[in-house]
Amino acid sequence: MNINFKAPISAAVAIGVGIIVLAGYFIPSLDNVRFALLRTGLVLAAVALLVGIINLATVHIKKIRKESENSGYSLILLIAMAVTLIVGFIDMIQTYLVGRPNFQITNWIFTNIQLPIEASLLAVTTISLIYAAAGILRKRMDMFSISFFFVVLLVLLGSFSIPPATLPFLQVIRDWILRVPALGGARGLLLGIALGTITTGIRILLGTDRPYGG
Amino acid sequence: MSATGFTGIVIVLLFVGLMITFSIIGKNRKSSRLRPIGAYKKIDQEINTSVEDGSQLHISLGRGGIIGPDSAAGLAGLSLLKQVIEKSSMCDHPPIASTGDPVLSILAQDTIRGSSRAISLADQDKNPSGELIGVTPFSYAAGSLTTIRNDNVSANVHTGWFGNEIIWLTTAGERQSSPTIAGTAQLPAQAIIYASASDPLIGEELYASGAYLGAGRMHEASITVQDVMRWLIIILIIGSVVFNLLGFNTFIEDILAGSM
Repeated sequence: MNINFKAPISAAVAIGVGIIVLAGYFIPSLDNVRFALLRTGLVLAAVALLVGIINLATVHIKKIRKESENSGYSLILLIAMAVTLIVGFIDMIQTYLVGRPNFQITNWIFTNIQLPIEASLLAVTTISLIYAAAGILRKRMDMFSISFFFVVLLVLLGSFSIPPATLPFLQVIRDWILRVPALGGARGLLLGIALGTITTGIRILLGTDRPYGG
Repeated sequence: MSATGFTGIVIVLLFVGLMITFSIIGKNRKSSRLRPIGAYKKIDQEINTSVEDGSQLHISLGRGGIIGPDSAAGLAGLSLLKQVIEKSSMCDHPPIASTGDPVLSILAQDTIRGSSRAISLADQDKNPSGELIGVTPFSYAAGSLTTIRNDNVSANVHTGWFGNEIIWLTTAGERQSSPTIAGTAQLPAQAIIYASASDPLIGEELYASGAYLGAGRMHEASITVQDVMRWLIIILIIGSVVFNLLGFNTFIEDILAGSM
């Protein structure tokens, strides 16, 4: 898919819109313009989703044509995509033309296929997290990693509700860790992220950082 | 205009002024005075490796869009993609880019095309894809696994907006014994990255890619401004603590209440 924005024009539009939206946060009289631009952005984002799906389908069709190792997965993805799309159309007709309740079949797919799959993936994520926490000392044996490991251990022990681990002092330590160093550290990180966000935004508004086009 | 609005404008103008000032001051400086960040050094090394052995870098940009609090992380990822493509212009195979957001996907494709034009890569087949992998956290993570397991991928760089699903991407890279450089703006995911990635980017380090990969003076100036503002915040916090300890807060409250 070829998308060819003319760099100077797209940069000027992006910078102009960015400045108006930013100013709209501080100057109440610009609120209407800001909301109009943000609404336009939302519509464009929805169109981008359509473009993204077409792009996804194109990439996987190419993979099937190449008969690569993972082309089987691409085929499953395309079939699932086509079925969901057809079901969506049927649902749309039934909802808007026949007057049946809202998107019944699509909801069924999400409730009975998408949600259980995502829930099982979340369960696997938990195991992966424990594996990663256990493996940190193998990866980096330094002061920060050792403290990270023991803090995780203390918080986990303090969170257990099984009798040998329900010692009150462990819960006190866990509460203190969460309330004082963890909260302080999180706030420090958030301040750093906020500063990084502001400078990134300003670089983009000044046009010195143009992560779009040339 | 409200007092908050006025303060906001003053802060933005202060940032702009300082960035321009530091950029002018740094004009004649030949060497960089940035503290070393292992992850960016690793990216440089991996770019060189991919040039030498004909392998590819995988850059995943996360699920951040451009409307909302996740946009800065997404744009920082795009900026890094641009720098990596420009630096890897000698590669047989340019980097592979993947995203979990449609708008970011379009911007990634535009960045790739723009940067590729800039480095005269005319062959379209050689250009990286900027593909939209999936729009939900787990579909994105699961879809990225095939790219991470690609034998030709020598390193994975995950920069952008990720949640807990990042663990899938980092552990998959580890199983492939390929270096994993990762950074995100989400706090729980940062803890996961610290535990599971070989080279984590913590906090504001995510936004510093331009300065460390040689994108220009303004990028380095923005890092200096961040440091200045950080010290200012530290002084304000310590100052307000001392202020409270000395009891000046009640003194000022009394003045404001007009009871003095």
